[in-house]
Amino acid sequence: MFDPGRPLTGVRVADLTMIWAGPYAAKILADQGAEVIKIESPRAWDNIRTLIPPPVALGERWWNTNFYLHEYSRNKKSLTLDLRAEEGKRIFAKLLPHCDVVIENYRTDVMDNLGLTYDWLREQKEDIIVVGMAGFGKTGPEKDAVGYGPIIEMMSGMTSTSGYGDDGVPYKSGISYGDPIAGICAAAAVATALIQRKRTGKGQYIDLAQREVMSTLLGEFYMDWAMNQRLPEHMGTGHDWMSPHNVYPCAGDDEWIAICVRTDGEWEGLKRAMGSPEWGERPEFSDQILRWEHRVELDELVGAWTAATTKTEVFAALHAERVPSSPVWKMLEVIREPHLKARGFYEPLRHPEVGIWSVHGWLWRSDGAGPCILAPAPEFGQHNDELLGGLLGISAEERARLEAEGVIANRPEGVPLASEMPPTPSML
Amino acid sequence: MSEHSNGEQGSDRPGPYAGVRVLELAEGISGPFAGRWLAALGADVVKVERTTGDPSRAFGPWPDDLPDDETSGLFLYLNGDKRSVTLNLETSDGREILRELAESAEIVIESFDPGYLAERGLDYKELSKDNSALVMISITPFGQTGPNANLPATELTLYAASGQMWLTGHPARTPLKNGGSQPSYQAGLNAFAAISSAYYGAVMHEQGSYIDLSMQEAYAAMAEAFHNRASQLGIETQRGGNFLNALWGIYELSDGYGGICALPRNYPGFARAVGLPELQDERFSDPGNRLVNNDELMAIMYGWFSGQTREGLMELGIEHRVPFGFVATFEDLANSEHLQQRNFFAQREDERAGQLTYPGRLWLSNEHEWKMGAAPTLGQHNVEIIHGELGYEREDLVRLRELDAI
Repeated sequence: MFDPGRPLTGVRVADLTMIWAGPYAAKILADQGAEVIKIESPRAWDNIRTLIPPPVALGERWWNTNFYLHEYSRNKKSLTLDLRAEEGKRIFAKLLPHCDVVIENYRTDVMDNLGLTYDWLREQKEDIIVVGMAGFGKTGPEKDAVGYGPIIEMMSGMTSTSGYGDDGVPYKSGISYGDPIAGICAAAAVATALIQRKRTGKGQYIDLAQREVMSTLLGEFYMDWAMNQRLPEHMGTGHDWMSPHNVYPCAGDDEWIAICVRTDGEWEGLKRAMGSPEWGERPEFSDQILRWEHRVELDELVGAWTAATTKTEVFAALHAERVPSSPVWKMLEVIREPHLKARGFYEPLRHPEVGIWSVHGWLWRSDGAGPCILAPAPEFGQHNDELLGGLLGISAEERARLEAEGVIANRPEGVPLASEMPPTPSML
Repeated sequence: MSEHSNGEQGSDRPGPYAGVRVLELAEGISGPFAGRWLAALGADVVKVERTTGDPSRAFGPWPDDLPDDETSGLFLYLNGDKRSVTLNLETSDGREILRELAESAEIVIESFDPGYLAERGLDYKELSKDNSALVMISITPFGQTGPNANLPATELTLYAASGQMWLTGHPARTPLKNGGSQPSYQAGLNAFAAISSAYYGAVMHEQGSYIDLSMQEAYAAMAEAFHNRASQLGIETQRGGNFLNALWGIYELSDGYGGICALPRNYPGFARAVGLPELQDERFSDPGNRLVNNDELMAIMYGWFSGQTREGLMELGIEHRVPFGFVATFEDLANSEHLQQRNFFAQREDERAGQLTYPGRLWLSNEHEWKMGAAPTLGQHNVEIIHGELGYEREDLVRLRELDAI
């Protein structure tokens, strides 16, 4: 029966992606119902498994239990395979006819260096869909440049748009924004290629440069350059015609609320929420243009009101008056935010060793869909037997030999158990 | 890669969405951004505008700063290769025409307030009655359900509501907003992925679906490590401004800003590229030592970066395969030899807005191109669609106009 939440059911993906952008794409494909086989080498595993050592209490085999891995790889299967070894490549060639999609986000030259060229992949499966997600693409003078999300963000123009405005310093976003953006786009690329394959019977090669995808979220800035040779000014949290439009301090430590007034009606609502202070009737605040011209003073007055109370109380008062506003939710707060909670956005992830914690569920919600999270991230090599034995018919003796030779494994080579780890400061 | 498409325009290969009818009942950025790529991939995107036009027509930039509904840079960017029809959904004629258009649609994108279409008998249930393979997506700030569903929102409040704002900005200053309209754009990109996935399902199973996309949720899903660290370990994250550590941040260069994002495995290449002997010191010998001695490493890096140029940094990065980059401006990007060679830009002489250069595609494929054509003027295709395709008489058009339905 068709599950509207999982329209990619029946699609099998050979997932060679690592770290952030690629795994984000594969996460979406897995959530959407594709069987995503995460392929890692015993000697070159997805670094996300071992980037942030968790507390020992979460289990000895910490490369399977840390939150970072589960954020990206829930709902996937794990196959270990050394693609540098001839034997590993031979098994990969046997797997490919069962796959619809190969996706990778290696440095631009790695697939070719491994001998996994598009031509070779197509020899194994003629209508294969291949997505390469190199940061700067597979062609052009900068193809060999490398970068993670913040580099992508800088090189896309994004970072040049952000800053407080008083110091000339450009600011990056707080996340590696280039990564999820490229990931979402790559998931769209896979689905688009599947649609085209259904029509033409042909697969395709997709060269998706992360920097280019990020750049498409900045169209108006390109247009301003083309039309007026103008570069963006840093606006901080202000706006070029709205006021109030800012983040205002609230009671407590590093507590903030964002408030925006777009219309005279919302201004009236804000005044009521503030208890109709006398200053609200001053002539210099009587229309939108005047309020914007006096925005510095207005921000101080609004800020004096917000600072006296908590952000949830300010929000409740503004919500009642339908003034656009939101507390600046911290991470410990957003995971318990009442609206997201009512919608079931965060779902429990159940792990046999760690227990239960919450992760985000559906990025979008199809009517009739059940829960998004069906399984935690797989243990390293968890599905070796199922896939090599069940799908490819490789015998148990043969699998034992492959493991002895290090072509497959159930533990990343050289990684100590949690209790054997020297104390390491966290990079976050 | 010689066998791959170089993305040149003018090929007669039909796009993946050729022959697919999309009804775009969406305004602003998010829905039109999704529709823009469907149109570029060959879909017939019919943009249904209110009779005064998509409000994005009233947002700049404009050529020479002269406001004009037909030359808004934002609108032109988001609406290329679509057809525009105006409909007043407050009139019964307007609603009837919309229903007729929906009968032949495979995909509907809408961004009205929750409940608006249902009150007018135009929700998914109605529109899919005789069209069970219809894929329809609603894009709203907070989704269709929940206590905040009808709360008005702006880019700033969505940035705050998603948790993204908390993570952005200098630790000693206010949380900061990213430039531009990121909550809307990222929602549009999510919508494009959602539609593609659901439409594949519809093609395979002849069964459509209705999708509720919340801009807040799509954005909250990008909190990466940070919400998981909170939920699994109970640890809060403080915003770090431009630095996670000395090897992950943005420094001032001699001619602008640039930086490094190095994971532990990138350190050897980084140290080689920089060439300073002190980077081989014991105090920087492993990831733990580098974090313990982060301030000292950062002091060294401030000095080194201040002597680098943007181009020099890029060349060094390519030579040593080190994740260096610089803060590129739109002037840099529009003139980038790399992006030009990859045919990233739509470059065309717009009839009204003049010579334009802007992002024209998402990826390169050896099986399809991207259309990079003009955006429609308001109601440009009223006659073609309402008279030519739906079969209304010309006199009907006069009556519809006089009734303010189109």
